[in-house]
Amino acid sequence: MTTDTLVMPSVTAPPHSRRLRRVLTDSGYAVLSLPVGVLFSAVVVTGVAAGIGTVVVWVGLAVLALTLLAARGSATLERAQLPAVLGHPLPRPAYLPAEGGPVRRLLTPLRDPQSWLDALHAVLRLPLAVLAFAVTVTSWAVALGGITYGLWDWALPQEGNEDLFELLGFEGGTSLRILGYTLIGLLAAAVLPFAVRAVAVLQAQLGRVLLTSRAATQAELGRLSRGRDAAVAAEAVALRRLERDIHDGPQQHLVRLGMDLSRAQRQLDRDPSAARTTLAEAGVLAREALEELRALSRGIAPPVLADRGLAAALAALAARSPVPVELAVDLPGERLAPATENTAYFVVSEALANVAKHSGADVCRVEVGQVGGVLRVVVEDDGAGGALLVPGHGLAGLADRLRAVDGVLTVDSPRGGPTRTVAELPWA
Amino acid sequence: MGVSPGDRPLRVVLGEDSVLLREGLVRLLEEAGTTVAAAVGDGPSLVRAVMAERPDVAVVDVRMPPTHTDEGLRAAVEVRRLAPGTAVLVLSQYVEVTYADELLADGRGGVGYLLKDRVTDLDQLLAALDEVVAGGTVLDPQVVAQLFARRRADDPVRRLTPREREVLGLIAEGHSNTAIARQLVVTPGAVEKHTQRIFAKLGLAPDEERNSRVMATLAYLRG
Repeated sequence: MTTDTLVMPSVTAPPHSRRLRRVLTDSGYAVLSLPVGVLFSAVVVTGVAAGIGTVVVWVGLAVLALTLLAARGSATLERAQLPAVLGHPLPRPAYLPAEGGPVRRLLTPLRDPQSWLDALHAVLRLPLAVLAFAVTVTSWAVALGGITYGLWDWALPQEGNEDLFELLGFEGGTSLRILGYTLIGLLAAAVLPFAVRAVAVLQAQLGRVLLTSRAATQAELGRLSRGRDAAVAAEAVALRRLERDIHDGPQQHLVRLGMDLSRAQRQLDRDPSAARTTLAEAGVLAREALEELRALSRGIAPPVLADRGLAAALAALAARSPVPVELAVDLPGERLAPATENTAYFVVSEALANVAKHSGADVCRVEVGQVGGVLRVVVEDDGAGGALLVPGHGLAGLADRLRAVDGVLTVDSPRGGPTRTVAELPWA
Repeated sequence: MGVSPGDRPLRVVLGEDSVLLREGLVRLLEEAGTTVAAAVGDGPSLVRAVMAERPDVAVVDVRMPPTHTDEGLRAAVEVRRLAPGTAVLVLSQYVEVTYADELLADGRGGVGYLLKDRVTDLDQLLAALDEVVAGGTVLDPQVVAQLFARRRADDPVRRLTPREREVLGLIAEGHSNTAIARQLVVTPGAVEKHTQRIFAKLGLAPDEERNSRVMATLAYLRG
């Protein structure tokens, strides 16, 4: 089963048809933006002016709000086109939700910074839209007209008409004219993709900045807070488990130890031999309590991780594993961030525990190294597979831990095996 | 060791899920001269054992199966309802004031709430058993400390002098004036004066009977 994997769709269309599609997309975007831009900039400029002019009689506020809603329509239209032009998906901003009484609902857009950015965009885009339209239409006209010139030269009246080359001082002539215009057309066709691309991207970047960058910030904040929630949840679950383990383990041994010592104290005077037996039992209890504590502290980051770093801690972990482990660690000399080291350590620790408990594997391989800016941890076994990321289960807890440090956990464990657990953490 | 109402040994029913601790407690209680009539490992069994054995006191661990939360406490409340003559001593790994609240809710004595750590002091355990069997109330000092800790800012308890607070805490734990005097190394008369001032400041009726005095104090502290 696989979760949390990033899938990048690969584009497989042949290069020339991809280039043609790009030119058509850019041209369509550039040409359409003029009418849309003219319409909405007129609406917004008029609306804002009328609204501000009548604010003193309150009607202006409603006019402004409606104008901002119109600007939002323009922005929505633009946002729909941006991904195709810029070639990557863009986040959508969250507008303030309308709530409260009817007046308050109506005026909500006025309080939303994104609304005002929408309006600003509707106005500022107009000059860029004019430029894009002009460049695009001219390029297409020159390219198509020039290339096909030879086909319709005959239809033009030649008397009293000086062509470009005669004006430049060349000897006139049909063949030169046709050749020249065709060359100009070809040149325009060669330049067209770049020219159209330039004006389309210029306009699209304005849209990206004004219409989606706030959303990108919002999305980043949302992602961070989700990561933090996951971290808090993982921490809470781990702490609860630790509390239970302490209660069921060492604490009971120590309380019983106290009881037995108290009993031995009373027995000393009356029955020294009974006291001796009780004390011997107490000694066993004390040793068991220590053993329990040692087992528990294994669930917490071991001292060797803090003192000697990830490589040493992993070596200790591998040496303890009941299933033989091939360990391949390739890390630079300097230490990683503590959170990164801890997480990587727990990935290996949990994965090895699973290998030992469930997989029935004969051998297991652990690889840790830097791959293109991330710390990559791979644990692979030759066991039975079928590991699941069930909530509350160790692996799911691990996925939460990783999300907390902006990492990704992938568990690939088909029934019948083998199991491959991959964790990728930001290199820090 | 004074563990007998009349001349027969104290009869105890024990509820503790951990075999390790159950065994330890049974030996400890028998060493102290009580009779352990039954030792069980969960709440419903405890209630059944109490109904069958009618012991002098039920000693109960708070956390027991199946829920491992407050099973034992609920069993203790049930025992007090079904067998009012049976005293209850609740043992807990942690102090929870809300647990104490539930135990004390019926306003009768014969109830105690101690940290498990206290059990390792055999004399203290026996004293607590004697106290609850005699109809008194025994609260762990930590419970009383928590009752103090949750007072509001405008509370009259804040107007008490440190010495008066100390005395109030000891009253809440269930001690007599004589015992308090011994603990603070003062004369019983001095404690009596403190007590009167405290009760006057808090607006409580001074009661001569010890357990009703404890209950009044606790009722006040529990707000």
